[in-house]
Amino acid sequence: MPQQRFDQAKPFLTLALVLAAWLVVPTAVKRFLRAGFFEMQAPVEATASYVRDLQDFWSLKTRSNNELIEAGRDLVHLNAAYEIRLQQDAGLRDEIERLGDLLKLPAPDGYRAEPARIVRRDFSGWWQQIVIRKGCNYGITEGAPVIYVGGVVGRVREVHAYTSVVDLISSPGVRIAACIEGDMRPISYQGGVNPTLAPARGTVEYVPVDIFVTPAAPRRLVTSGLGGVFPANLTIGYITGVEPSTDGLFKTGDVQLEPALSALTEVTVLVPQGPAAGK
Amino acid sequence: MNRRVLMLLLASLLLAVLLGQLNHYLGAWQLHVWCGGLFVTLAALRLDFRTGATTAFLAGLLLDAGSPVVFGTHALLFLAAHAVIFNARARAPRDETLVGVIIALLANLGLFLALSFLRIGAASAPGDAWMRNFADLALSQIVLALVAPWFFAIQIRTLQLGGVALRQNSRSLF
Repeated sequence: MPQQRFDQAKPFLTLALVLAAWLVVPTAVKRFLRAGFFEMQAPVEATASYVRDLQDFWSLKTRSNNELIEAGRDLVHLNAAYEIRLQQDAGLRDEIERLGDLLKLPAPDGYRAEPARIVRRDFSGWWQQIVIRKGCNYGITEGAPVIYVGGVVGRVREVHAYTSVVDLISSPGVRIAACIEGDMRPISYQGGVNPTLAPARGTVEYVPVDIFVTPAAPRRLVTSGLGGVFPANLTIGYITGVEPSTDGLFKTGDVQLEPALSALTEVTVLVPQGPAAGK
Repeated sequence: MNRRVLMLLLASLLLAVLLGQLNHYLGAWQLHVWCGGLFVTLAALRLDFRTGATTAFLAGLLLDAGSPVVFGTHALLFLAAHAVIFNARARAPRDETLVGVIIALLANLGLFLALSFLRIGAASAPGDAWMRNFADLALSQIVLALVAPWFFAIQIRTLQLGGVALRQNSRSLF
């Protein structure tokens, strides 16, 4: 009977022993194992993403010449508009540089834009992350901001040899210093609940009490530039409503994130350069 | 490494990649499928303790590597699930596929809830987070019930290709 009891308890004894042993394994070994297991899967997932790109290519090849001509014409219009904006931008940059020299201001942080295709989207209730197809091989750094045409995507959490993992702004626990467009006072944004079959949502805290927002007149939430990670004035989402917090000193509110955030295929990593790179 | 463990790890890698691809497409609708119970069930029901436990632990590390959790979370949860299933397997006709599917569903339910309890602290609104988790759990259980027989067959076939006789193996206990 005691032998039978020992046999029954053996799996749980083994579990306890493994747990105890795992707790004392050095962090360096765990980091090495983590990287090893990740890199083992990375080539398979990257190959799958290349296959998806190939599928997209062949599906685009089926488009008629008329459609391509229309798309080309639209692009010409867009390029012309962007060309004018670039010229204005160059003029403004020169002005900023001249004023900076006059006031002896330190040079602002610079970023190198690194576009990257998405290997895998992983949007669960526990976490929201994407894997992109660029890593150490393109000089991506941990903590680098990631953006897309609609605004902020998130922040690089892990950098591997050929891929990087990005925490999305919709991920629970992700916090960003933000402000409401046209109002410089900083507020705190946090990734929130991501309901099924609906766009992701976030929450804002420490909203000044004189700010009023209704679903009919949402306010754009942008990055504040504080904290040194995200450049200022990038769209995070739209505040759809605020209500007084329990202490009555501030307000809290809901943020509607862009639906496109859930269907991204390409993002841009802003790799810090100059003084920001050392932070 | 033991050849049986290596074969089962390859099957686990295949399942992890396929689920990753499925979740990539489901992400557009904010849906997620998690089938952790599948990684432990066959090894716990049909193989000796050491092989099953090692496979469960390594499959957990495989999932840990791509998740923002403390490294070893999935691995230790899988090992715990393996210990429970291994202890209870003598009371069930474990060679039956249907029994395997039911045990995989129960294991997945337990593991999903355990992981949800570990992660719920990060959510700003836990009540709403649970609603999302239950929706994902319901979808995961449906997908698991559909793919479990196929995955068991893949695992058995992989073991056979590796020259392992499952019938002999499942008789030995430790």
